[in-house]
This record gives sequence, structure tokens and C-alpha cells, in this order.
Amino acid sequence: MTPTQLDSKNPGSALAISGLSKVFNVGNPNEVTALSDVHLDVHTGEFISLIGPSGCGKSTLLRVIGDLTAFDSGSVQVAGKSPEEARKERLYGIAFQQAALFDWRTVTRNIELPLELAGWQKSQRQERSAELLDMVQLSDFAHHRPWELSGGMQQRVAIARSLAVDPPLLLMDEPFGALDEMTRERMQNELLKIRMETGKTIVFVTHSIPEAVYLSDRVVVMSPRPGRITAEIEVNLGDRNEMTRESDHFFRCVTSVREALRVHDTSNSTSSSHRGEI
Amino acid sequence: MSATRERIAKGSVSLLWALAGIALIAIMWELTKFVGTLIELPFNTSDQAMPHVWTMLSGFTVPEVRGSETTVFQAVVSAASYSFTLALGGFVIGVTVGLILAIVMQRFLFMERGLLPFVIASQTVPLIALAPLIVGIGNQISFGPVQWSTTYSVMFIAAYLAFFPLSIGALRGLHAPSPTSLELMRSYAASNNKVLWKLRFPSSIPYLVPALKVSAAASVVGTVVAEISTGVRGGIGRLMVEYARETTSQPAKVYVAVFGAIALGLVVAAVIAAVDVLLTRNLPKKGLT
Repeated sequence: MTPTQLDSKNPGSALAISGLSKVFNVGNPNEVTALSDVHLDVHTGEFISLIGPSGCGKSTLLRVIGDLTAFDSGSVQVAGKSPEEARKERLYGIAFQQAALFDWRTVTRNIELPLELAGWQKSQRQERSAELLDMVQLSDFAHHRPWELSGGMQQRVAIARSLAVDPPLLLMDEPFGALDEMTRERMQNELLKIRMETGKTIVFVTHSIPEAVYLSDRVVVMSPRPGRITAEIEVNLGDRNEMTRESDHFFRCVTSVREALRVHDTSNSTSSSHRGEI
Repeated sequence: MSATRERIAKGSVSLLWALAGIALIAIMWELTKFVGTLIELPFNTSDQAMPHVWTMLSGFTVPEVRGSETTVFQAVVSAASYSFTLALGGFVIGVTVGLILAIVMQRFLFMERGLLPFVIASQTVPLIALAPLIVGIGNQISFGPVQWSTTYSVMFIAAYLAFFPLSIGALRGLHAPSPTSLELMRSYAASNNKVLWKLRFPSSIPYLVPALKVSAAASVVGTVVAEISTGVRGGIGRLMVEYARETTSQPAKVYVAVFGAIALGLVVAAVIAAVDVLLTRNLPKKGLT
């Protein structure tokens, strides 16, 4: 594991989590330990994926970071602040599997929603939303209603919205999970492009191994019961192009993530975490 | 533009169907009367009990009282418009109260738990029992020079019936946003009021529109019933009672009053339809309505 003693004032730290635990339904017969002793450090500008089977706590971890769920013990620091402070200061943007666009607003006005709530002036909002629409290549659809767009386009609007206030951190909870494979790969490329342009730190939850490998600098493998991090695999794909998905390096990374997942899938032993490096 | 034209075309088609429906009812009415002259039917089809359609229509033009200037038609129109004002007043009060209750119940769980049973119980009180009570209490109220009028009691009763469907519909609507949308608002650090205004209220519109329809109908029924049971003059409810007494001499007259009540209902329905178009103009055209 990376050292847990990380200076919270360190400007390079986007996210510092140590000894994080979260139990649902405490004291009830259906008590579930969603997260157990999770340590994770993410430096500014890094793209990490959380991957694991259903119930491994990857979404819970993301929600704890976003202060959408409380945690029981341990410490979580988002850019040196508590998750609550970070949320209130709008230091992160979030995108879910459902685009969750508001039907009664146009595409532009959906993107402007976080800006309205942050108290931006109308002219500034319009300028910013035009910029973001351009980034996700939906300028022609600015005044359409969300329900007139395809699933992939809706998700692009949702990503633009998550970037609206220009937060340093992006939290993404299986944003491409409901898309078909072709759209999904196109969206992955667009997300990488956006990341190149904006330099955001991104925490990306997925259960697709190729997706995690293709997008990330580091794949964080989690296992369920109790939810914990069991492996971290560094991926150094460099600049992606059409050949990346077919390269040996890509396949080796996919294989090592798959193996890391399998180890903890078959044996229920509480083997210690290991760190794979390629 | 073509959407508007399409809408108008659709509207005229449904208007034609509605007219055809009315014509069909008139034909069946006359047919029943005709059959009644041939064979014995289990109900009375005499001109006394079932006046001819044309007698009913001619009833519009006869003077209300022998020798008077105003026709029955004019009397019905003025009574219906008077009732409309009362119903509208009751509707506006009912909708306002219903909305406030829904917002309070949504915001505070203990309010929902504590208030909802009373809201539901309020509708189990029979109106006939309630009306004299409200008039009785109302008559004791005066704000300085402003004296309680029985017409306020009528509005109150209309509002009493109208608030219920609205508060239940609005409460469901305010609870309608998906957990994801609510989390999104939380991630934006949006205040409760912002969440209400920017998310909950717009999400509730598909639930609000049918609730408004039911409330509007309830306020009309409430007005007519309240007019009868409180004895307020000038409205369509009272007119129906008066005309019904004259059935022996002028059997068609009461039907004119009934037509007036129906017209009143249609006007209210049209108003709500306009509100519907206004509120749902930005929503996908499938809706729950």
C-alpha cells in the first residue's frame, strides 16, 4: 500500500483516505460491512478506477468521497478538506449511471443548473455552458430537451454539467454503464480528451475491466464482504489511439486486473492486499 | 408551428366527437320516449318525466317568471357565472392550502405522519353535516367592519373538498424526484428551498395536473351542494332546487338548470386544460395524465 501518512496540506494530494470503514444497518440482523479499513491516495490530475464485483463497496466509497453517505471511522480528505466541506465548496462534480437530466430544462439550462446554484450571473452562465457544449460537441443541441437526445448524448450533457463549476475533482459512478459498446468506447475516448484538456482528477467506478484499464492511470481492485481494496494496478498506456485496445500491454493489464479480481472471488480468505505493478 | 396546427386539428376532431356524443344521447333519449309509447317500460317516459329535447331547448327562451323580462336562459347563465366565481374562490383557496400542506408534509416527516391522517379523515365528514356547522360558526365571525357572509361559507366548503386531492397529489409529486436527482442537488450544496423550487416542484407537475382536475371538479360539486345546503341565493344550486319545484307546470325548466351546471363544469375543465398545456409545455408528451 502507499503510505497512509500523507500530508493533507500537500497540494499534490487530491484525495487521501485512511482506515475508512462503513457499516450499514448497524446492530440489525442484516448488518453489512460495506467498507473495511480502506486506504487510498490519489494525487492531483490522476485518473483512478474502482473496480470490483457488485457489493464490493466501490459505489459506497465514491459516495463517501462526495459526502452523499456518512462514514463510521477513518479519515477522508478531499483536497485537504473534509468531504462535507469539499461538497459545500463545490470542489467536485459528479456523474451517475443515469444522466439524471431535468426534463423541463433545455440542454443548456441543464448544464447551467450547478452554476445557478453557485450564484453565477446569467451572462457568465451562458458563456460557460456554451464553452462546455462545445467541449462535448453538442452545440447544435443546446436548445433541445434532454428526452430528445440519445443515451450517449444525454450522458455527454451530464458530464458537461459535472464540469460546469470547474471543480478539480470528478466523481463518476458507472457513467457509461447503460450505453451500448460502440457508444461506450467513443465516450471513453471523449472522456480521455476532456481529461487531457482540463487536467481533472477523476475517480471512476466501473465493473468493466477493459474500461478501467483503458481509462485509468491506476486500477483499484476491490472485493466484497467486507468491502476493501485488494490490489492496485498501475497502468501506463500513455497516449491512447486506435491501436491501444489491441496492444499487448493493454491485454497484460487486463489480465492482471482479471487475476486480481479472481483471487478474491474464489477464495474467501482474508489475504493481505498486494500491489501489482507492470 | 406545425405542432400548433396539429393540435388545433386534433382539438376540432375531438370537439366533433363530443358533439356527436351529445347528439347520440339526444337521439337515445327521444328513442326511449318513442319506445315508451309502444310498450310498457319499467320507468315513466311521459312528457312530464322526460320532456322532449326540443321542449328543453325551448325552455331556454321562455321568461323565467310569467311576464318577466329575463328568460330562463339568462337566469341560468347568471346563476352559473355566480356559482363559477364561488367555485373559483373555493378552488384557489383549496389549491393554496393543499399546496402549503403538501410542502410542509414533504419537508418534515413528522408533519407528514401527524397531519396526513387528519387530511384523510377530513374527507370522511359528510358535507351535509358540515355545511350548517360552517355557516353557524361563520356567522359568529367578524373582523371589525367586515362581516362573515354565507357566500364565504360556500367557498370554504368548496375549498374543503378541493384541497384534499391537491394536497395528496402534490405530496406524491414532491416525493417523485429520483434519488439520483436528489443526490445531484446535494452535490451542488443546494438549500432545501432551492431543491423544492428547482427540482421537487417541476417534478411534481405530472402529478399536480390530474390533482388540479379532481380539485376543480370537487370545488364545483362542493359549491353546488353548499349552495343548496346553506340556502345561498343566486347560484346554480339554488336555481336547480327552485326549478325542480316547478316540474309539474314546467318540466323542462329544471333540465335547463342542469345544462347550466354541466356548462359550468365544462368551463372549469377548459380552464384546467389550459393550465395543463401551460404547465406541461416543456415535458415529454407522454405524461401520467
